[in-house]
Amino acid sequence: MAGLDDESQLIAQSRSGDAEAYAVLVQQYQKMIRAVTFRMTGSPDDAEELAQDAFLRAYQQLDTFCGSSKFSTWLCRIAINLSLDWRRRESRRDAIHSQWAAETLTANDPGGGFPDELSRRVQMALNRLPAKQRAAIVLTVYENQSHAEAAKTLGCTEATISWRVFAARRKLKNLLKDLPHEEA
Amino acid sequence: MKKPELDSLLKKARMPEIPEESLEMFPRRIVARLQRNDWPVRPARRFSPRRAWAFGLVLCLAAAFAIGHWSGRMETKAIVENDSLASLKLIHETLALFPNRVRAIVQDEHGLNLVLSDAADVPTSTPLYVHISDGQHNTSLVTFSGQEIQVAGQKLTVLSEADGGIILEGNQFVWSSSEPVYAGRKLKIEAKNLGTAAM
Repeated sequence: MAGLDDESQLIAQSRSGDAEAYAVLVQQYQKMIRAVTFRMTGSPDDAEELAQDAFLRAYQQLDTFCGSSKFSTWLCRIAINLSLDWRRRESRRDAIHSQWAAETLTANDPGGGFPDELSRRVQMALNRLPAKQRAAIVLTVYENQSHAEAAKTLGCTEATISWRVFAARRKLKNLLKDLPHEEA
Repeated sequence: MKKPELDSLLKKARMPEIPEESLEMFPRRIVARLQRNDWPVRPARRFSPRRAWAFGLVLCLAAAFAIGHWSGRMETKAIVENDSLASLKLIHETLALFPNRVRAIVQDEHGLNLVLSDAADVPTSTPLYVHISDGQHNTSLVTFSGQEIQVAGQKLTVLSEADGGIILEGNQFVWSSSEPVYAGRKLKIEAKNLGTAAM
């Protein structure tokens, strides 16, 4: 991974229209962004499409990146908000889509491409959370953001994030209670 | 299951593996789209009857408030009768737009605010109208029993009594419509139960 100076240099070059420099940034952060969009959508294809859109949107908005947060946090903010917009657009056909997705996954690959049953069950549980609660979990658990950072990313108050995380955890505990877990 | 156990379980979950070829091609695809000027386009907002209703409603209430505010006839008695918030039709429409999510409709000098719950968890009950004036500022609100609302810089819990009376519990006072004597600052409070017709 490039150092901060290298990263600033790449950002500056990208701002001046150097697409190859931007490709290096994309290479560095694609796994992180694709992970965020996958956790939000539960579908590898939608995740890839959203990740592409997030990088293109970020390129369009590079002038607005002022360096007050890390570049990765800024990218993550764009990806998560695009994912939430996507959820809103998709919500109307959600029922049909979910049914189709479940059938396709079962028909083509019983594990849905997941490396193990635990991973599949956790993603299914995440899929069942309301999108904003899922976003709160993705940011605070998977991206290790503090409640304050997550609040900034999602444009809401810390109290709202705390409530969403609390509500999401309650649902997840219930959905995953039969999975083996290590006692604390 | 405790919080650290749940977090550990969530973090153990891995994603389907992304093929190496896809990882290599991904930045190329981005560059290709950049060079084609193939930007993600925001979807055009489609006409939404619900959004149009909400917009129309807010516009009506704001207009009603502006007229009321400038008419100079803000006598407390008249406020309850003329206040747009006391209009059953408007309340009915707002509640229909956001079923079980409206915690309060608040109107003050800053305009009209709809206080919504994140989830549809506000129990159905009769709307309660409250008007509070400290001589300089007027706040009107329609809410439901049990709701905690921020008004005039303090948290206010609005409760309805079995006989239809209303109790307001603030940080520094308790007020009851059956005994409307005011304690604390020079606040003038009026409250009434709008009845089932508003639901």
